[in-house]
Amino acid sequence: MSGSVEIVGSFADEIGCAHGIEKLREVKAIGVRVFSPIPSHRIEHAIGKPKSRVRAFVLTGGILGIITALALTIGTSWEWNLDAGGKPVVSWPPFIIIMFELMVLFGGISAVLSFLVHARVPAFEIAEGYSSRFSEDRFGVVVRCEPADSAQVESILRDAGAEEVVRAAAWPRADGNAVVS
Amino acid sequence: MSANLAHRTPSSASDAHGSVPVASAAFKGLLVALVLVGIAAFAAALSSGNADRAWQAYLVNFLVWLGIAQGGVVLSAAFYLTQGRWAGTTQFRLAEAFAGFIPLGFILFWGLYFGRTLIFPWVLHPIAQKAAWLNTPFLFARDGAGLAIMTLLSLALVRISRGPEARAWQLSSSDIDLPPPILRKIAPALSICFAVVYSLIAFDLVMSLSPAWHSTLFGWYFFGGAFWSAIVTVALTAVILRGRLGDHNVFRNPTVLHDLGKLVFAFSVFWIYLVFSQYIVIWYGDIPVETFFIVHRVYYMPWKAISYLVVFLMWLAPFVTLLGVRPKQTPAILGTIAFGGIVGVWLERYLLVVPSLSQHVVPLGWVELLITMGFVGAFVLCALPGLDLVAAAATSGEMQEGHE
Amino acid sequence: MAAAVQDASTPTFRDIDRSVLRVMEMPGTAYWIWIAFCFSLVGIAAALWTRQIYSGLGVTGLRQPVMWAIYITNFVFWVGIAHSGTLISAILFLFRTRWRTAVYRAAETMTLFAVATAGLFPLIHLGRVWFAYWLLPYPNERFLQPNFRSPLVWDAFAVSTYLTISALFLFMGLIPDVANAREQSKGWRKTFYSILALGWQGTDEQWRHYSMAYLLLAGLATPLVISVHSVVSWDFAMAQLPGWHSTIFAPYFVAGAIFSGVAMVMTLLIPMRKWLHLEDLVTPWHFDNLAKIILLTSLVVSYSYATETFMTWYSGDKIEQMTFHMRYFGPWGYLFWVMVLCNCLIPLLLFSPRIRVNLTALWIISIFVNIGMWLERFVIIAGSLAVNFNPSQWAYYRPSITEIMITVGSFAWFLGLFSLFARLLPIISMTELKEGITWLKKALRKDYAKAA
Repeated sequence: MSGSVEIVGSFADEIGCAHGIEKLREVKAIGVRVFSPIPSHRIEHAIGKPKSRVRAFVLTGGILGIITALALTIGTSWEWNLDAGGKPVVSWPPFIIIMFELMVLFGGISAVLSFLVHARVPAFEIAEGYSSRFSEDRFGVVVRCEPADSAQVESILRDAGAEEVVRAAAWPRADGNAVVS
Repeated sequence: MSANLAHRTPSSASDAHGSVPVASAAFKGLLVALVLVGIAAFAAALSSGNADRAWQAYLVNFLVWLGIAQGGVVLSAAFYLTQGRWAGTTQFRLAEAFAGFIPLGFILFWGLYFGRTLIFPWVLHPIAQKAAWLNTPFLFARDGAGLAIMTLLSLALVRISRGPEARAWQLSSSDIDLPPPILRKIAPALSICFAVVYSLIAFDLVMSLSPAWHSTLFGWYFFGGAFWSAIVTVALTAVILRGRLGDHNVFRNPTVLHDLGKLVFAFSVFWIYLVFSQYIVIWYGDIPVETFFIVHRVYYMPWKAISYLVVFLMWLAPFVTLLGVRPKQTPAILGTIAFGGIVGVWLERYLLVVPSLSQHVVPLGWVELLITMGFVGAFVLCALPGLDLVAAAATSGEMQEGHE
Repeated sequence: MAAAVQDASTPTFRDIDRSVLRVMEMPGTAYWIWIAFCFSLVGIAAALWTRQIYSGLGVTGLRQPVMWAIYITNFVFWVGIAHSGTLISAILFLFRTRWRTAVYRAAETMTLFAVATAGLFPLIHLGRVWFAYWLLPYPNERFLQPNFRSPLVWDAFAVSTYLTISALFLFMGLIPDVANAREQSKGWRKTFYSILALGWQGTDEQWRHYSMAYLLLAGLATPLVISVHSVVSWDFAMAQLPGWHSTIFAPYFVAGAIFSGVAMVMTLLIPMRKWLHLEDLVTPWHFDNLAKIILLTSLVVSYSYATETFMTWYSGDKIEQMTFHMRYFGPWGYLFWVMVLCNCLIPLLLFSPRIRVNLTALWIISIFVNIGMWLERFVIIAGSLAVNFNPSQWAYYRPSITEIMITVGSFAWFLGLFSLFARLLPIISMTELKEGITWLKKALRKDYAKAA
């Protein structure tokens, strides 16, 4: 977007970060993106987005697993309908076990696949404002706003306790301190 | 703060203070009337040729209500063992609320002695091979001793849990400090004894009614069901008290109902797992000395209908309904499922006991109904002092630091 | 060590990173010797397996009536080990248990490699391994299909599902950690971690979906754990064989699995903590809690033994009584009593709070538990088969060198893979430790001398 500015605020703790985000919602910022090294309920709550749709996919996957299991077990039993041990050819107690296992299998695979799709991972581009420190021990709030609002945004971030507040373009991506070689 | 609070002294040593009366005098009168009706019905049944039904109803109710009362105390012990504190002192008071029935249950156990010829088939027809175990003196001695131990341990745990040191721990938010030392000994001891004693009760008072049958998982299945019966009773009580205690009680916090709903859900699944584990082994092996017990109850009417109803009330309904987050937090839904669960537990104990003694008839009439009412009255009456404490804890605003 | 604890009692995010990532530096000679040792044992086992494929199952000690013995024992043993990893990582996650964070990655890794080891054994046990695909349903000209009424097919589905879900769960948990490692490494490692981290940057959108997916995976893995070992136990309980046909098998085996698995976690974690210098992150408090789980499951296993014994007598079934009599007092009776000592008696020591924080004692006890649980499977499987319905068939079993070396090889395979992983990928979850840093600080300040 032409004319918009990206400001990055770096926080050392999640409480300050969440506080800052809450304050930012009162400003007409165009977009807020938060980087954090850990999942944080506080930050998620402050951002206030609806619950992830991964849930619906997992439920669908699970139901699909149950149906597949029923189709598989009943279908193959009918096709090779040998009386094994006097049990009915289509007997529900063993089939329940297969239903359960496939429900979990399909549900689990759906969870991972829908996560990958929704989170847009694998990600081949680095998001604006990202710094390696945000994967280690800092929380980053990246605000995109009009240049006119940038001073207000910067002051909000500083008041909330940001260690550093810079423009995204000036933000170094990598720390340069390798621990493991 | 609620207006109808009597004394609120969280650090009080005595449990007589800090209680809010839950029941009016009229309600207590009703309960007493129910008890009297139950006793009268029992006597009437004995003298009108329905003695077998009377004793069957007695046994079923004894198992159900003592199971709930005892399971509640075990739930409190479980909270200590897992250090799960999510509702301050209230969750402990709630789980322990029904403990008042345990001593009465112990006394009622001895009442079974007088009906033994009608309850235990092996009294009049001893089985030579099992006589060393299935004989009247030994059975009553071992089960009596077991229940005595459980009664003493339960009362001790409840008393200590209501004391100041325990209450301080219940309210603290430190998730690394352990409960007071004495509780660290009683809670595991009580839990272990519960498993052993209630397995014995299951083998002796339920399994032995069909002396030819056996299932190694039966004891576990029985006390697992008893534990769940306590959980649903606790959940129902929480829902009821939520409505009755005004606007600022702990049960109005949606996470409390959510956690209770999770317990109802999880242990319902555990119960069906134990049912299925027995069913599939017996079904697959198809050995007649094992299958007759199941076939009689599950394959043929009239008991078949009750089996299906039990599975519906104890597993299918809770599972499907409480799967999401919202239903667990909705009092009406949780309460209905919990009430259905209690009915289901009663029917389940009934299904385990009575078909062994009454082959083709499902005795469900005034005898069973009135005797059950009597037990319900006695149970609630015994639970009232405990419930008063729950009401006090729920309205005192005592929560852990860090919760709102 | 006292000085380090002083400083380390208030760790920061950076301290956690340093401690964990330091483990992943280039290891010394001793490590490579260990890896070479492990994989040479694996090589011997592989050679013997090849010979077995060539010559047939006759090279083993399997003879009628004992056609399931050490291989199946190993299978059940390793699947059991796997379960505790999922218990710690998934079930304790749902319970919001704090102490889980420092140990769950190691436990989950153990799960993955234990299942991988276990999955080999049904294949090893097949005489004609090249027909293994017959287990799966596929269209064929003779309309043959797997028999879904057989517990062996349930087993195939259950263990495959478990392997898949465990791998996915481990992988999910690794993503943020590997992203962290990517930032703090260089060279080939950086490339490796960058690929593995899938470009994870920790944005709020990514975390939102991640947390939901992780929670649901944990919720799915929990019943899966219970079901898989139940299905494995039903391999035996479905039979009518005395000593096998028992309704208690499912929960009893699950408890036994957690029992042996948590003991194995301890066997691995105690030396690992020392050799990889993780004392700041894995405290005696963690082991105290693991020990309590071992104690609880030991009691459940003892309860099961007692119930089975009682019910054998109560049932009046003469054949079953003879089987159990042989189990306790027959030629293999000494194995049974060693098992009782290891599984029922020695873990009672864990009632003592002092022992629960004494890492040497815990390590020794965990070894005994592993021995005892391996013996338990063997006694149940081979012992019951040896004295079946028909006394004229009774015959005891002698393991051959093939089976012994393959068993040894399986342990070496497991330990080798685990050791490789520990140096290559973060063996402790930095992300979760940071999440629970407040609790970690309390745990480090706790005075263990006061015996908790």
